[in-house]
Amino acid sequence: MTADAVFPVVLSLRVATLALALIGPIGVALAFVQARARYRLRRLVDALILLPLVLPPSVLGFFLIVTFGRRGLLGGLLERAFGIRLVFTPAAAVIASAVVALPIVVKTVQPAIESVSADLEAVARTLGLSPSAVVLRVTLPAAWRGVLAGLVLGFARALGEFGATLMFAGNVPGRTNTMPLEIFTAYQTGDDARAGLYVGILTVLSLVIVLAANSASPRMLAR
Amino acid sequence: MSHESPAIDARLSFDVGEKPKPFRVEAELALDHGILILFGPSGAGKTLTLLALAGLVAVASGHVKVSGETLLDTVRGISLPTHRRRVGYVPQDQALFPFLDVAGNVSFGLPRALRTGPRALAWLDDLGIAHLAKARVDSLSGGERQRVALARALAVEPRLLLLDEPFASIDEESTEPLRELVRDVVRRHRIPAVLVTHDADEAVAMGDRMTRFARGKTVETGTPRTLLGREPAT
Repeated sequence: MTADAVFPVVLSLRVATLALALIGPIGVALAFVQARARYRLRRLVDALILLPLVLPPSVLGFFLIVTFGRRGLLGGLLERAFGIRLVFTPAAAVIASAVVALPIVVKTVQPAIESVSADLEAVARTLGLSPSAVVLRVTLPAAWRGVLAGLVLGFARALGEFGATLMFAGNVPGRTNTMPLEIFTAYQTGDDARAGLYVGILTVLSLVIVLAANSASPRMLAR
Repeated sequence: MSHESPAIDARLSFDVGEKPKPFRVEAELALDHGILILFGPSGAGKTLTLLALAGLVAVASGHVKVSGETLLDTVRGISLPTHRRRVGYVPQDQALFPFLDVAGNVSFGLPRALRTGPRALAWLDDLGIAHLAKARVDSLSGGERQRVALARALAVEPRLLLLDEPFASIDEESTEPLRELVRDVVRRHRIPAVLVTHDADEAVAMGDRMTRFARGKTVETGTPRTLLGREPAT
């Protein structure tokens, strides 16, 4: 494979990994809060978490541009304060992938945390563990299969992200052309062999990931 | 442990459940030494009272003193969090940590440096489960699980032991040896215990004192024999 052909593969893996690093801890923390806390706005927060899963990718892309674009709420601030521009950069691809992967992570991890018996946590507290130590030494170890499955599926979703990335990060060759974008470009220009290459890589990668998630959490995914 | 102070002196008042019709628990408990039985039908507030003693349920008003130490006093604004109360809790289903072996469960509450030391092993030995140290907890019988849960609670040297229907999931053959073991441990280590049960035979066999619950309230207190002699087992 030429360097030009390898670039989208490496970029996609790097974007998905960074997206997971960004939303993995946030997703697990949100799953924990939604599983354990009872508060007034819980249903609204639940709906907001799910929103990226049901919104059209173009709508998400639009929201990201409005928020992080040069004239956006945060984008303008970032550019003025730090000289950072996000639109049409690989960082934008990371953010777009992170946003679409978040609901998958939260919604896979949350039931795993909910299924951890409250008695386990109660006993751990009587054994001298502070609430944060209970999370680290009891809840997460007891729910690790679901947490792992959530992270793996989140990675897969980030790897396959297309629509929001196209709008927010663009399709800049050698810069933001992830595999899904490259498939689109190659198909449009009639280069079916190139499109087929990435289709094959993404299909095999996704299959491996789903198998891994399945074996991590058989009760939740296997049928 | 101060010998002048009663082992348990507690008065608790709290609501659980959703408004507008929460379930109110009002309990008064007293024990000089040994084992206090909380007796009554299911849903009478016994387990909730046990959880409140451990600080696992918020108490609206009242106090909890164990051997002279104040764990809770709502008037003085004192409420030790659960992890500082030093109470050993054995829930009805034992709640063993499924991701740890027997030794890992028993040493769970010890400081990191002591987890592989002789202290946890001594408790395994004391409760007759030293041979199971490396066993997975899902391979244990009901009686073995109960011994592991007891050893785990005792290993952190609690000032109070809380047992929720500890013999409910044990087969009949194992029950009497386990009852004897609990009585023996409590006596030897001088740890006051509160034991929840709705079984009259168990109350008589285990208890030094007994408090009867009905609809969230403590209705009478005495020795198990006296109370159950007047009103036979339900």
